[in-house]
Amino acid sequence: MRRGRWILGAATCAMVLAVLIGFHAGSAQDGKGKKPPATPTVYSPYPSGILPADLESEIERVRREVNFIFQQALADWRALPPPNLTGQPPKLQGSGYDMVQTLGKLMNFDENISVFKNQACASCHMPYAGFSGPIPSVNLTMVAFPGSFHFRAGKRTAQRYTYSPWFPVLQFNETQALFFGGNFWDSRATGYLLQNPDAEQAQGPPVDTQEMGSPDTACIAFKLSQAEYRPLFEQVWGKGALDIKFPHDTEKICGTPGGAAVFGTDTMPVKLSPGDRTKANRVYDNWAQSLDAFEKSKEVSPFTSKFDAVLKSLVSLTPDEMAGYNLFRGKANCNSCHTDGRGTTLTPGQTDNSNVAVFNPLFTCFGSANEGLPLNPRNAFYYQTTPDFFGFTANPFGFAYRDLGMGTFLRSGFGSWPNPNAEWIPLAPTADGTFQVATARNVAMTPTCPPGSPPGCVACPTTEAPGPYFQKGFFHNGYIKSLKQLVHFYNTRDDPRFAFPVTSGHCPPGTVERVTCWPMPEVRNNIDMTTGQLGLTDHEEDLIVIFLQTLTDGYTKPYPNRNTFTGQCMVGGTAATQGNDSIIPTPPLPQCASAICGVAPFPTMPIP
Amino acid sequence: MNALLLTLAITTTVGSLLAFQPAAAQVLPPAKKAERVEITKGPELESATNHLTIIRWTTNNPGGSDVHYGIVHYGTDPKDLSQTAKNPIRLNQGHSHTTFRVRVYDLKPQTTYYYRVTSEESNGRSDGVKSTVRQFTTPAPGEIIVGARP
Repeated sequence: MRRGRWILGAATCAMVLAVLIGFHAGSAQDGKGKKPPATPTVYSPYPSGILPADLESEIERVRREVNFIFQQALADWRALPPPNLTGQPPKLQGSGYDMVQTLGKLMNFDENISVFKNQACASCHMPYAGFSGPIPSVNLTMVAFPGSFHFRAGKRTAQRYTYSPWFPVLQFNETQALFFGGNFWDSRATGYLLQNPDAEQAQGPPVDTQEMGSPDTACIAFKLSQAEYRPLFEQVWGKGALDIKFPHDTEKICGTPGGAAVFGTDTMPVKLSPGDRTKANRVYDNWAQSLDAFEKSKEVSPFTSKFDAVLKSLVSLTPDEMAGYNLFRGKANCNSCHTDGRGTTLTPGQTDNSNVAVFNPLFTCFGSANEGLPLNPRNAFYYQTTPDFFGFTANPFGFAYRDLGMGTFLRSGFGSWPNPNAEWIPLAPTADGTFQVATARNVAMTPTCPPGSPPGCVACPTTEAPGPYFQKGFFHNGYIKSLKQLVHFYNTRDDPRFAFPVTSGHCPPGTVERVTCWPMPEVRNNIDMTTGQLGLTDHEEDLIVIFLQTLTDGYTKPYPNRNTFTGQCMVGGTAATQGNDSIIPTPPLPQCASAICGVAPFPTMPIP
Repeated sequence: MNALLLTLAITTTVGSLLAFQPAAAQVLPPAKKAERVEITKGPELESATNHLTIIRWTTNNPGGSDVHYGIVHYGTDPKDLSQTAKNPIRLNQGHSHTTFRVRVYDLKPQTTYYYRVTSEESNGRSDGVKSTVRQFTTPAPGEIIVGARP
């Protein structure tokens, strides 16, 4: 039972350590040798135990891994053949795909893009976790990953990159009268301009106040103009693409995190000429498109799972895997939304008899749903209620914040992006509490170390206790800690013996949270009732978990860089109670803030 | 075992038919609307506690939009079912039947309620099905009712 040693407590040590290590804000200098501003103090509004005790060392561990892959990407770039731009319209004959994907890979693992040059996109999305959260203790506790300015943090789990490029541009399908597509948990990356939601998603984190933290999208153009791989950018996107006349104070501005009081409401503090602003905007679009190319490449989304091999008749599912699959598409009804590419087959009494739906088995319907997750009081977002060194307060509402997901986005509400389609605003009440249906692919991906792996590689064979396991956080708020719990939640959420009108941490005596007690949903509007009372046995739940593990890429070919994890696996306990040591009591919840739940069009039911 | 082999054969056939076009991802078109939707089981009480009551019923697969709404009209007077609760469910186009489940909140304890159920597509188009009026009685404080199961 080693798992308890890093779970709770000792967060004070983390704080002290953080202060001792100091905050290196050297990039906030203006580049002229002037005295830098006062060193920012670490932001620590958190009660003891909210941040994991190993946070600093784990951030440093991930930084080493990120830089390892960045060096690999530099080598990939240098191994590319000379570009051959030819034809009309001009194209990079032969190497265009490799070039733009390699460029995207370099960008993805480039720490210099962040405000303090200490965080890459990959810092929250590493390959061995299916490009989701790489720090087990963060997945267990604070849910969202800390940003470039320590320790601001977001409010949701880091979504997997894999297959995100396949989500269509957010649309309200008139035939279905449903939303489909977009990226991010709340679908706010619609893709309406680039016609590519995955690319527009990539434009979020660099300027997210709690993530990479740049105060202006032009900062990304500025940093790319200084990047070692600038020549590749210009080969892909055009010579002179980065020839922008940046003002002398750009370094200083781009070394100050977004949300800083000094910026007021100015979202473009880097003062560029109109022509250069247009160029910088184009660079930011190219940034997004390059990252999308990487995420769509076989290095991220390769279709190399065992399930894919079965579809190609290369192997067969084991009896347990097949039993799990039959439950997945039968009794458990998972494939009503985690669609598996199967067409409708004729069964007695059925009204539709089409053969095969010609679409990919992506295990998502691209829709959104409210699955009724309880509020997770471990989420670091709730505690960021006071101004940080820069005068920024991430969450002035504290526990009066409610995550309405897509509903808040459609209202252009707090913590989301502006909704670019006014026709959708009236639909917000039908979307309250809904979050994107993630692909089930790679939900079970964990680090492996096949022969030839780099030194220090650590393999964690599963997501499930007793392990050795790699701790993940499931759903948008990370409340669920294992796939067993995930399936059990779908199976028993509405079981009257288990559903209690309590918040997390307050289950009645004699019950076990996540096993025989499900706290009430955070948002009770629009709860999807496809699941919640499935009647699965304990063994049937296990079989579905076994099937989910066949959706992990890397079966037919090694998954690139899945062998770069150098942290520690966890061991001990059971999958059913995994992470229960980290449950804390939810404080008495104030009424939902009017700035969230009181925005027209109002929710169909008042949200407490 | 034969069933397993058959399933595998179907799976592999589907795989070959898919021809694996990664760029061909698309939103699944809605299923053909059923000519007639009938309730084949229920409606009935799935469960009742002091804070939550769930009503469930099963129909043949109604087809149409992927998301349907189950709707419960209810009240304490069988002639005045003026209160409404509704929840979405997502059809499984491969299933012959569809189970609707609706959450009803904040009912009074030890009180008899009357209800009738209907369903509709996400665009509000009715499935053309309506149950007879049924009834249930909520439990006493601290008690639960475990009703119909899957």
